[in-house]
Amino acid sequence: MSIHPKNDPEVSMVMMSTKSFPVVDKEKIIKETLEKMSFFKIGITCIVDNKNQLLGLITDGDIRRMLLNIQKPLSALFMEDVNDHMTLNPFTIYPETKFSEAISLMEQKKIWDLPVVDKNHKLVGLFHLHPAIEFLIKTPKSEKEIIR
Amino acid sequence: MKKTNKIISIGYGKIKPVKVGKKLPLVFIGGPCAIENYDHNMYMAEKIKIVCDELKLKWVFKSCYDKDCRSSPDSFHGVGLEEGLKILQSTRDTFNIPVVSDFSEAKDAAAVGEVCDLVQIPAYLCRQTSILREAAFTGRPVHLKKGQFMSPWNMKNSVRKLESFGCNDVLLTERGTFFGYNMLVNDFTSLPIMAQTGYPVCYDATHSIQLPTSMGSISGGQREFIPSLVRAAMGMGVNALFMEVHDNPSKALSDSNTVLDLKYLKLILSQAVEMHSKFLELINKFGEDNVHTS
Repeated sequence: MSIHPKNDPEVSMVMMSTKSFPVVDKEKIIKETLEKMSFFKIGITCIVDNKNQLLGLITDGDIRRMLLNIQKPLSALFMEDVNDHMTLNPFTIYPETKFSEAISLMEQKKIWDLPVVDKNHKLVGLFHLHPAIEFLIKTPKSEKEIIR
Repeated sequence: MKKTNKIISIGYGKIKPVKVGKKLPLVFIGGPCAIENYDHNMYMAEKIKIVCDELKLKWVFKSCYDKDCRSSPDSFHGVGLEEGLKILQSTRDTFNIPVVSDFSEAKDAAAVGEVCDLVQIPAYLCRQTSILREAAFTGRPVHLKKGQFMSPWNMKNSVRKLESFGCNDVLLTERGTFFGYNMLVNDFTSLPIMAQTGYPVCYDATHSIQLPTSMGSISGGQREFIPSLVRAAMGMGVNALFMEVHDNPSKALSDSNTVLDLKYLKLILSQAVEMHSKFLELINKFGEDNVHTS
């Protein structure tokens, strides 16, 4: 989908704030992480250090693959540190990244979420598929609509 | 993510700290289950010290002033907090060794921490928040025994409680796991699992052979398995070994069916020291275990 340059805001205008999606520190266990994902009804958690710098991600898909492979009781898995299972060095974008660029990256990598970090790699938000779709639906489709 | 392997130091004041941790020599924690009286306690400390000195084995003297989990109301309950701590203080001062006692009531923790170099949390109470909090507040390292009803991975909850109260010196001990009624089994995988917390781990070879309350009003035990279980624990890479020892087990006022007879102490500790040293040699030679599920 092409986006008119005049309707291509920065990601910061569309991203979710860090208060509205799951963020956990690296000491949290899998159980607490899953509870947080259920609370926010979002299938991704960002794991941060004590300076709020992004360390990695864990997603519903990661949990699914974990359940298929793990050879230990579920109660033991629940107790494991989330940082033992996170995906390191995920794709990230900046608040200044253009919306069109962000959704192109999503499409290219076949992912639903992009953590938004500042220049110091501190987590500042999440570019999530559903708010992005909502923006696309609501945004004017043509020059004519923009002028109106 | 690899955990930092923590080393704990047991000993304050004039007592030279005994260090427990990965790649360090084995540490022994032992003594009579209960403080029976001043003379017996001093006698036991003297005898154990002779064996440990001969083997160049660092050790911590263990004995408790209160036995709060006895099976019968008629069983010996202990000499009490005040008398017990006085005896432990004398033992510590006379033999220049660190001492440990457990406590079963949160209100006792501060007094125990004033005297003891290591404070112990009984297995049955290993998840009691008030006990863990007061243990942490003593500022001493905490010897946390794994409950017979606990999975090794769930011990992390108790560790996290201790950490949340400011304690970062924990020794985790395996002491057998309930298998139906009146029976314990030894699951040695609990040792590497608990070691994943980063804290050192210990094997309690005398409580692990207990048959809890199997004799109606008292617990039984299968002492004949102590030597082989000790050897197995050394192969698992424990950092410390715990055993209750008595010069006359049949007359012991507590745990008479599980305490090790003093006459076997040297034999068992000699093997433990050699096997532990061999374990460290193997790790140095071949590297850390690195086998993963997938």
